[in-house]
Amino acid sequence: MGIKPIAGEESIRVPFLMKMEFEYAVGVYATHFFQELKDHGRLTGVRCPGCRRVYIPPRPVCGICFEPMTEWVPLSDEGVLVGATVIRLPFVDPMTGKQRPVPYGMGIIRLDGAATGIFHFVDETDETKVRVGRRVKANIRTERQGNLQDIINFRLMDGPHE
Amino acid sequence: MNNQTTNPIGAVAATVRQKIELPYSYVAGRAVTRFLLGLKSKLFYASVCGSCGRKNVLPLSFCGRCWKPIDRYVPVGPRGTLESFASVPGGVAELPHIAGPVVYGLVRLDGADTLLAHVITADAEGKIRCGARVEAVWREERTGSILDVEAFRVLREG
Amino acid sequence: MSQKVAIVATGQTKHTSKRKDVNVRELINEAVSRCLADADLRMDQVDAVLIGNMEPFEGFMFPELWSIEGWGGYLKPSVKINTGGTVGAATTAAAYYYVASGIYDTVLTVGFEKQSDGNSQAAMTAIGEPMWERSVMAGAIGNWSMMASTYIAESGATMEQAAKIAVKARHNGARNPFAHLHMPDLTVDDVMKSDLLAWPVRRLDMCPTSDGAVSMLLCGESVAKRRSSRLAWIRATATAHEQQYMGDSPKRLAVMRAQIAASQRVYKMAGIKNPLKELDVAEIYEPATWAELAMYENLGFCERGQGGKLIDAGVTTMEGELPVNPSGGVLCTNPIGATAMIRVAEAALQVMGKAGAHQVSNVRTALVCSYGGNAWSDAFILSDSPS
Repeated sequence: MGIKPIAGEESIRVPFLMKMEFEYAVGVYATHFFQELKDHGRLTGVRCPGCRRVYIPPRPVCGICFEPMTEWVPLSDEGVLVGATVIRLPFVDPMTGKQRPVPYGMGIIRLDGAATGIFHFVDETDETKVRVGRRVKANIRTERQGNLQDIINFRLMDGPHE
Repeated sequence: MNNQTTNPIGAVAATVRQKIELPYSYVAGRAVTRFLLGLKSKLFYASVCGSCGRKNVLPLSFCGRCWKPIDRYVPVGPRGTLESFASVPGGVAELPHIAGPVVYGLVRLDGADTLLAHVITADAEGKIRCGARVEAVWREERTGSILDVEAFRVLREG
Repeated sequence: MSQKVAIVATGQTKHTSKRKDVNVRELINEAVSRCLADADLRMDQVDAVLIGNMEPFEGFMFPELWSIEGWGGYLKPSVKINTGGTVGAATTAAAYYYVASGIYDTVLTVGFEKQSDGNSQAAMTAIGEPMWERSVMAGAIGNWSMMASTYIAESGATMEQAAKIAVKARHNGARNPFAHLHMPDLTVDDVMKSDLLAWPVRRLDMCPTSDGAVSMLLCGESVAKRRSSRLAWIRATATAHEQQYMGDSPKRLAVMRAQIAASQRVYKMAGIKNPLKELDVAEIYEPATWAELAMYENLGFCERGQGGKLIDAGVTTMEGELPVNPSGGVLCTNPIGATAMIRVAEAALQVMGKAGAHQVSNVRTALVCSYGGNAWSDAFILSDSPS
């Protein structure tokens, strides 16, 4: 006795919303960076004593030289776009479980003085303007919490491109 | 940032809270679909491997030990034996309709070779023990979900 | 005692956007059963299994655990691997070492992904670093778009050159029965008219998301020679990893440091000095058309900035000097946990002469190379002879 397979029947789908809450220990270096940003509105990086690269996000060891880094250096709030796009595709934001509003400009910004770039929003949704080589300036909040959102976004600066 | 502490070398370290919400929709597959549809009719189905004869709950469409496809299902239960359990004091977020404590258990439905995990209840504390006989408590409205079974209740001894 | 290693057999599912008829376990089982059939082998003759996948897409931890009955893992020596997008290649590399060590003779590899059970872009975004990347990232598409913008600034490559890559891939895929997308009539114009997802990536510049699985059998020299006369020998393998944040290499995608390192290592191990001349075919991991153009440069097929010229001259088409992705590549098929292993399997089919309608003629030496957003790159040289 048993059931016959039902030909062509679709399988049942079981829906599930995975919700996970985290409390990440961000580490001493990120704490130092965000505390400086929160208290003074200033951006900083760390310099490798070996290759002299200044890293942002800051971290304890230079991955290329494998040297510990302890020298904090101030960084400009201006820099250049080394990667640039305008996001148009709709997608679910895992931080909210809902669609993230689009379009928005996004870039990898190399701040003056740094060897590396950081992700952030760019305050422009015209693709012809959000281009690699454009200079940008951080738009920093007056009331800050100590996280990446203390920078609202980066604004395109006028003037010649790099 | 939250919870700033000072680490052993005197530097300050903080934490940041975030959540992640990701929507999923799992395909149950043909064997488990058979099982879930069976729940609508208050039936538990096990798969039967034609080679080793194992009766699996939840059912399988393939026996990994014999390396053979399975296409036979038989009803098991409706009663079973509680083989193992654990109590979660204070309730479980995913089961908001049950005020804590929530007892989870592994039930061997009569005829099955593997155990089914579910919520266990009893009309008196102390009745939940290994070896207790249990039966399914069915929801009025069943949709083809594991929660069509509200719980397995320890049988009232007669 | 170390031994040479060959790929003896392969099995794949027909990759597609939604396998509504199977769960993960059943999907894996299809590919594994086909591989065993291809090898004329029983599961009890397999010494060990290495299985890889990228679990955020399935939405439950350890999908290989829940699928164990489907891949023969019960009580068998086995390990699960996850290196993100390149996992299929990393898993193959691990299997290579298992066999090369001489400790195991017959090892099965499995790569799988059931993208349709989850939400791929959300899962990709959740992979972003929580403090620095996640709130800004827009999934894989957003990242590849930014990387493509850097590549364009460095190379001057055009939208049209990218579109030619899209056309080549989909025409090749149309001859591959396992490929997800079959678009034999796709034109450059179609690609350039498709929606802009994030500049410069248009919909048809980007890979699909697929449900699929792949499995291969790797054997030591004496076992391999007994099992088959058509073998794909693994002559070299190498793995390399980037620095952690996407912005750590500000020219990333133009200069794919990990891919350069991994490919240079395998070229050296296999004695290859001029890849364009000495390779007969390449299967590379190109989630976007722009990535393929950049990879031509990073893999040493041409000088910096000249990737677009290779496609303009047709060098990497099926008729060209070095066909790239005769299978249709990632642009046709992308069940992420399987994809890098599909590259290996497809390159193996080319070397074995078993690629059917998408077979390149006279293949003796193949390159496989992956490059993931999760910063790994893995490379292999496959050959029709053990040394």
